[in-house]
Amino acid sequence: MTRSGNKQDPLEVVGCAKGYSHEELIKNLPRHCKSTPGLIEQIKKIPEVVFRNSGTLFAKKVNKMMREVNTEAYRANQFTRTEINNHGVLFGVVLLKHQVIDLVLDYFHKRFPESIICLYNEHTKKTTSMDEKRKILVSKSSLNKVVEKVSENRPIVPFFEDINFTSEQIFETLYKSQFIPERENKDFFKKMIPDKCFELPGMKGGVEKRFRNKDISDFL
Amino acid sequence: MSPSILTKIRVLGENSKYDICASTASSRSTKYPKLFGDSKKWIGATESAGICHSYTPDGRCMSLFKTLYTNKCIYNCKYCFSHSCKKKMSFTPEEYARTFMKLYTMNTVEGVFISSGVCGSADKTTEDMLEAIRLLRFKYNFQGYVHFKCLPGVSKYLLKEAITLSDRISINMEASTKDYLAEIADQKDFNNDILTRQHWLKQIRIKHNDETLKILRDLQQDEKLDYQEKMIKDRRENGYKKFRWDGAPILNSGQTTQFVVGAAESETDYDLLKRIDWGYREIDLRRAYFSSFIPIEGTPLAGKQAASLAREHRLYQTDWLLRIYHYKLKDIEDVITEEGNLPQGDPKIHLARQYFKDHSLVDPNQASYHELLRVPGIGPISAKRIINLRAKKFIFKRRENLKNVGVGLKRADPFLQINGQNQTTLHDFINNDNLTIEGEIK
Repeated sequence: MTRSGNKQDPLEVVGCAKGYSHEELIKNLPRHCKSTPGLIEQIKKIPEVVFRNSGTLFAKKVNKMMREVNTEAYRANQFTRTEINNHGVLFGVVLLKHQVIDLVLDYFHKRFPESIICLYNEHTKKTTSMDEKRKILVSKSSLNKVVEKVSENRPIVPFFEDINFTSEQIFETLYKSQFIPERENKDFFKKMIPDKCFELPGMKGGVEKRFRNKDISDFL
Repeated sequence: MSPSILTKIRVLGENSKYDICASTASSRSTKYPKLFGDSKKWIGATESAGICHSYTPDGRCMSLFKTLYTNKCIYNCKYCFSHSCKKKMSFTPEEYARTFMKLYTMNTVEGVFISSGVCGSADKTTEDMLEAIRLLRFKYNFQGYVHFKCLPGVSKYLLKEAITLSDRISINMEASTKDYLAEIADQKDFNNDILTRQHWLKQIRIKHNDETLKILRDLQQDEKLDYQEKMIKDRRENGYKKFRWDGAPILNSGQTTQFVVGAAESETDYDLLKRIDWGYREIDLRRAYFSSFIPIEGTPLAGKQAASLAREHRLYQTDWLLRIYHYKLKDIEDVITEEGNLPQGDPKIHLARQYFKDHSLVDPNQASYHELLRVPGIGPISAKRIINLRAKKFIFKRRENLKNVGVGLKRADPFLQINGQNQTTLHDFINNDNLTIEGEIK
């Protein structure tokens, strides 16, 4: 779209068609595990319209990297399974190759602003926590130790003590109850939860995997 | 001995599995002030578009805690699962609220979808359901998404309260007309129990929002502060009934409805489309859901054939054309078959074939927004982009230009003309007599 006679940058007008703006790339691409300062410098020299249109192979590669970052954060928001203890500490396990832990913590903080959020990243083997004031702390200790430590000085609020079932049991019962055999559509299910999502800590051996979604390797 | 929570979830969840819902953008108003302040104590959030935390084996998004409040019901709708369910049970408000909150902390659901059978009377059951939502909002400080299903025949004062506490509200029509409803649920009064309530919902929202906006506009800044303080004081008593539960002055609860497709014997697609078109015009319907009829063992319609899922899909596609593309029902009439149903295949392609019989192909450099929308593969977003680009003197010279703005060329190609050129098909050659039907070159 930038060929002769069309000097106007079309996507400057209408927003993103497929790619990302310079601003978005410079801000978020460093989160990618393979991003380097040299790559960012290179991006700055290329006109934005090239990235917006995935105009070159380099632009395609950069846009793909950005998508990987965004998808990983979104999948973590979707499929991380958490628990809350009686001290109001919310904790869970994630698998994040890119540096998006702050985005995931922020997502949980918006939902539980009064809680401390602790997430253990299986990839980096570190536990990251965010307190009520959105202050982030990174520790090499295990998740249990960090949760124990941050719970120490917090008051006990026994919200769910009288519910004898775990959240997973409740969710499994709800999940099974919603099954309509006549509408079963495995292809569509796979499209919505691709196989690689079952490798995430929240989904590994989870309710969705256990219920009617076994493949031959599960029996071997 | 009363059943355990798990048993209740299993039975009441199963009873509600044919209800369709999605955690959509909650349309929470951010541009208006929250009169009660933005407390840090709230739990939960509504995203601009709801996140799906799980999917059922049919690929449907499972983002809400969807169960009935009770499956005890005075109605005997012929298609209904509750009809055949022998185990009758109810949640208590506290049980319902706590179970949901436990599930919410696991990050498996985005919000609540509360529906119910009518136990005793619609008002009594609604009171109990509202109590559960009140507990969620005020005891557990939940500010996430709530979809409240109103029961047929419920009183106006309860609707008023439900609308202030929810993000979305709905009353199931089940069928498109009084006669069709009588065929599948003869105890329900279509006009009084359903249509009247839908009109009330619209009136309550409009009246409330008009009055509140007027008050806010008339008040000077200083007075507004006093006004807020007064509201905070009032809220401790029953202020939330006047405004939204969280203090926002505007009620956004959009209303939806649901139809059982194929349960009534001779109900056609056109009947359903006429009814939803009426809904969009008359009662501010946000959207309609369609649920294909599936015969359930033990119900009076157990022997009836199931409606095809393809029919449900076509209805959704056509609904999209009415709701998002603003097609007129009159346009849709052109492709309706003699039996009154939609033809097989994508309705937009059928409509385009019909339309372009009498109209010339669309040139993206000249066509209006509405003409562009007629082309399959061009939606509202890509049509707007094309118009905006043209306003900046951009000229579309190649098909790839259109691809870059998001046009689905595969479907759009046959209806487009770029720079005086259009895609020629083998069919055109045959029509132009360049080829004989047998394929021999003349």
